[in-house]
Amino acid sequence: MSSEPDNPDVPDAETEYQHPEDDGPDPEKHCGHGRGGMGEEVSRKEDKRFITGRGDYVDDIKKPGMLHCEIVRSPHAHARIEEIDGSRAMAMDDVVAVLTADDLLEHDLATMPTLMDDTQDVLVNDKVKFQSQEVAAVIAKDRYAAKDGAEKVEVEYDVLDPVVDAEEALKEDAPLVRDELEDQEDNHIFDWDTGNEEETQRAFDAADVTVEEDMEYQRLHPAPIETCGAVADWDPGKDKMTVHMTSQAPHAHRTLFSQVSGIPEHKVRIVSPDVGGGFGNKVPIYPGYVVAAAASYVLEQPVKWVEERSENIQTTGFARDYEMTGEIAATEDGEIEAVRVDVLANHGAYNAAAQPSKFPAGFFNIFTGSYDIDAAYGSLTAAFTNTAPGGVAYRCSFRVTEAVYLIERMVKVLADELDMDPTEVRRKNFIPSDAFPYESATGWNYDSGDYEKALDKALEMADYEEYREEQRRRIENDADKLLGIGVSSFTEVVGAGPGKQCDIAGIEMFDSADLRVNPTGNAVLRVGVQTQGQGHETTFAQIVAEELGMDVDDIVVEHGDTDTEPYGLGTYGSRSTPVAGAAAAVAARKVRDKAKSIAANELEAAEEDIEWDRESGEFHVAGAPDRSITITEIAAGAFMNHPDQEEPGLEATNYYDPPEMTYPFGSYVVVVEVDRETGEVEFEKFVAVDDCGNRINPMIIEGQIHGGLAQGIGTAMLEEVTYDDNGNVTGGDFMNYLLPTANEIPNFETGHTVTPSPHHPIGAKGVGESPTVGSPPAIVNAVTDAMSHAGVSHVEMPMTPDRVWKTLSEHGLDIGPADNVAFEFDDDGAGEPADD
Amino acid sequence: MKSAPFEHHEPESVSEAVSLLESLDDPTILAGGQSLVPMLRFRLANPDVVVDINGIDSLEYLREEDGYLKLGALARHADVEDSDLIDERYGSFADTAPLVADPQIRNRGTVVGSVAQADPKGDWGSVLIAHDGEVVVEGPDGERAIPADEFFLLPYDTTLGEEELITEARVPTPADREGSAYHKLKRKTGDYAMAGVAARLRFDDDGRIESAGIGMTAVDITNARASEAEEALEGERPSPELFEEAGELAAEASNPESDEHGDASYKERMVDVLAQRALGDAAERAGAVKRRVTQ
Ligand SMILES: Cc1cc2nc3c(=O)[nH]c(=O)nc-3n(C[C@H](O)[C@H](O)[C@H](O)COP(=O)(O)OP(=O)(O)OC[C@H]3O[C@@H](n4cnc5c(N)ncnc54)[C@H](O)[C@@H]3O)c2cc1C
Repeated sequence: MSSEPDNPDVPDAETEYQHPEDDGPDPEKHCGHGRGGMGEEVSRKEDKRFITGRGDYVDDIKKPGMLHCEIVRSPHAHARIEEIDGSRAMAMDDVVAVLTADDLLEHDLATMPTLMDDTQDVLVNDKVKFQSQEVAAVIAKDRYAAKDGAEKVEVEYDVLDPVVDAEEALKEDAPLVRDELEDQEDNHIFDWDTGNEEETQRAFDAADVTVEEDMEYQRLHPAPIETCGAVADWDPGKDKMTVHMTSQAPHAHRTLFSQVSGIPEHKVRIVSPDVGGGFGNKVPIYPGYVVAAAASYVLEQPVKWVEERSENIQTTGFARDYEMTGEIAATEDGEIEAVRVDVLANHGAYNAAAQPSKFPAGFFNIFTGSYDIDAAYGSLTAAFTNTAPGGVAYRCSFRVTEAVYLIERMVKVLADELDMDPTEVRRKNFIPSDAFPYESATGWNYDSGDYEKALDKALEMADYEEYREEQRRRIENDADKLLGIGVSSFTEVVGAGPGKQCDIAGIEMFDSADLRVNPTGNAVLRVGVQTQGQGHETTFAQIVAEELGMDVDDIVVEHGDTDTEPYGLGTYGSRSTPVAGAAAAVAARKVRDKAKSIAANELEAAEEDIEWDRESGEFHVAGAPDRSITITEIAAGAFMNHPDQEEPGLEATNYYDPPEMTYPFGSYVVVVEVDRETGEVEFEKFVAVDDCGNRINPMIIEGQIHGGLAQGIGTAMLEEVTYDDNGNVTGGDFMNYLLPTANEIPNFETGHTVTPSPHHPIGAKGVGESPTVGSPPAIVNAVTDAMSHAGVSHVEMPMTPDRVWKTLSEHGLDIGPADNVAFEFDDDGAGEPADD
Repeated sequence: MKSAPFEHHEPESVSEAVSLLESLDDPTILAGGQSLVPMLRFRLANPDVVVDINGIDSLEYLREEDGYLKLGALARHADVEDSDLIDERYGSFADTAPLVADPQIRNRGTVVGSVAQADPKGDWGSVLIAHDGEVVVEGPDGERAIPADEFFLLPYDTTLGEEELITEARVPTPADREGSAYHKLKRKTGDYAMAGVAARLRFDDDGRIESAGIGMTAVDITNARASEAEEALEGERPSPELFEEAGELAAEASNPESDEHGDASYKERMVDVLAQRALGDAAERAGAVKRRVTQ
């Protein structure tokens, strides 16, 4: 995945717009110039409608004659369907149709492709492969009737033994999950390896010190607050299918929809209205969407499907589920010579990981992290099990979260082994700031970084040394609460493309922006990415404001409608600012270029004499700053007095294929207290220093960091989709799948450093996912750190009080209340003083 | 909320409610709805008829009367949380209320509804047990009081008759040298207990424990009493050793099950820890001891 810095695929003209004459925004003083450009904390444009209850989500959509779809789901994890009888449901007053796989087969809609080229049943054709899989659909006049009808559909199952655990699934006598696939004789999906095995082995053989740790990244669910849903509307008059759906990637979904349905792509319109959080959960296509579309096609009426919370958690794309073994080879003084990792991945019943790169395990091979490590080797095996399919990138780039967890945990394990401060080990091994662009042992090409600076800042903000003192004191005093200090210095990889490396269904992962300036001087920017809370309507307007000297209020950003927006690949993997944000900047610069000739015309000067002043946001005649004109003023000229050699109008489009990924990074410091009586963990301090290059809207960045840290806490402390041995989901609702609330979240102290991306037009990197990726290892490092003096090297996530207490007790650190409390008695003799 | 269809009745008096319960076929009572509505929504409950008692104003009270603290069937968790009377005299109630669910649920959910629900993970049952409390029920045959110990049968099953309505939960008002407390271990705000212990201690003039009550949450098939622990406490002076012994006995009496939130062995140990903590607080509130953390 390394590519030459001078990517031959990027035409010169683009490079020119990418790095324009005026150098782009200045990282030192980008202050938005008071117009809401780069660096200004502009209030979010989208907040008014959200806060006043005027958001427009899929479930808000009502159409005349709209029907409702409820899906009948299998109570069993593994079962053959003997018979489906929908007659009792059909006999109900408001039930319009009962659909099964047979009905879909007639229209060739019985299966759909997954993002990993597997084929998933839309409605189960023969064999149920996970609990709550889609078996039939009831279409009725309202959602109550649909639900009543679904209860009346009778399904006869021949129940089979399920296999839930990936390790069990790979055993010889395990039940076969995918017996419909020819050549599939076991539950093995693929093996993959990366790096240099022999070189790594040599380093391990010769090393002073080696450490090894098993760790599981448990199955999580992105659990966006809005579940998935769609309103499909087939128009038999225009032969056109319109689907309003919860989509993070409307255009890609249009292409897939067209491929699945056979409806030509220009007759498919996908609209993703306001979306209540995606986090990777809304990247795949789900059976519910297809069923709604099929039902609308057959019944020629609009059909709405909106899933319930437990349907969302139990059946739609989960994340993680990696069992990992990490190893490090190092010198005695802590220099890391090699890293090795072995993974067993549970992919569920279908291979449906959301994974647009060319590598079956996504970007997992970034597991060398922020460190300059010569030898690295990783191997991975993926297995089918009778659990819901998934492996989506939950608020991260594809599998980078697992990779960062591995390396950041292993560095702590190494530090403990060597009895060194973990920050010391990090410093020793950081890729030096002057080594960028840096090519890693597994072939990644890091754009820029200054890891030590971020770490220094975080340690200072966290009073690191004082907490270390306090930690020692508590150990000496045998205190009832232990203190743990955890650090992670992570590097993220975000902003997919480059198109040569990443695609969805063959479509390269560029992104797009289309900027049109109106005669009255305001503008509409249309982008191919889709916001689900990230604040694009504000951030992208700021990019245009910066580049054109316009006021941010004069720019409106549109997204999510495939009929009007330019083709894009959607929002996930922190790719929107790195890719579509770049497209927006380039489109704005193209507009500015054309505006220059209009400016010359208006100012009656030669074009060569016209200069752009980023500070004032105006063109002026060289040497005559008074003779100036703004884009807003020029707009009128473009429509009313356009120069002869130019077309009228003022607009530009850019499709941006990034030359490289961007590599945001940061250092987090977490201080926790561990209760030796109960195993409960409390946060004492939480410092997050992030570097995402040039910052567009610091307030939005801070919001993104806070949200992601909360999700990191959920990951480390609370969340897990659990199954019992029969394949029943036991963590499939919010009573059991525990999301953190404000009460579980400590006060975050955020800080930043700025190391611009050298290849991005405005020097920005993605940021939305750094906190989810970077914080879990910091938290686990903190909890293990509280107990490492007694030899504790790891606690599995989620770190329930039970797990922590068991670790305490296994290492002789647990106490009871009586060990720590003395009673004093009232003078009136109500009691007697106890022994000490 | 996509429940199955049901008929909704809104009586305005207890007698009207009771006659509805008597005349209707298999009616279900709706109080705060914080347990029933989720069950309707998941279609775990599919009643044909719902008798909604929220219109019976006479059931909205929380007061001391005739030697009891009385909570009417419409006293919400939030009413307990906000009450000065509770703050002053009922430590275990004051501890419990803010630990039940989350603020939204506490604004609607009732103490009596929680007891009627008989979820072994419900907190109030343990508090009633520790205080030797009762539920007062009204039925076709008039009023009767059921001691908390005799009320709970199985998870979600009680000795309440089908045509009976609980009008009140009550506990004796505390003596001068009496204190109580509740400790609960949960994984997050709004979550049910992994384990919980309510403790009540009354001291005689000599500083000995005259009466002790210990109720346990989420560690048996119903809220449960730790009788051996109570017996071990009674007649003794408080000491760390005594509370340690009581904690161990309570843990022995508990019968938790392993689930995804914790193993049985861990929960048993936590009963011990929580019992000792609750006993310490109860003794302190009774004015019998001052506790001092040794470090
Ligand atoms: C997310 C969540 C978290 C929760 N966490 C906790 C917790 O931590 N601790 C805890 O204790 N509880 C918890 N609860 C339950 C909550 O306390 C409920 O309010 C309580 O269990 C039921 O009270 P209600 O008034 O809402 O009763 P309803 O839901 O209206 O009724 C519950 C049951 O009791 C019956 N009933 C109600 N009133 C009477 C009456 N007067 N006479 C006879 N039968 C009656 C009903 O018929 C029904 O069967 C939680 C609930 C939720 C949804």
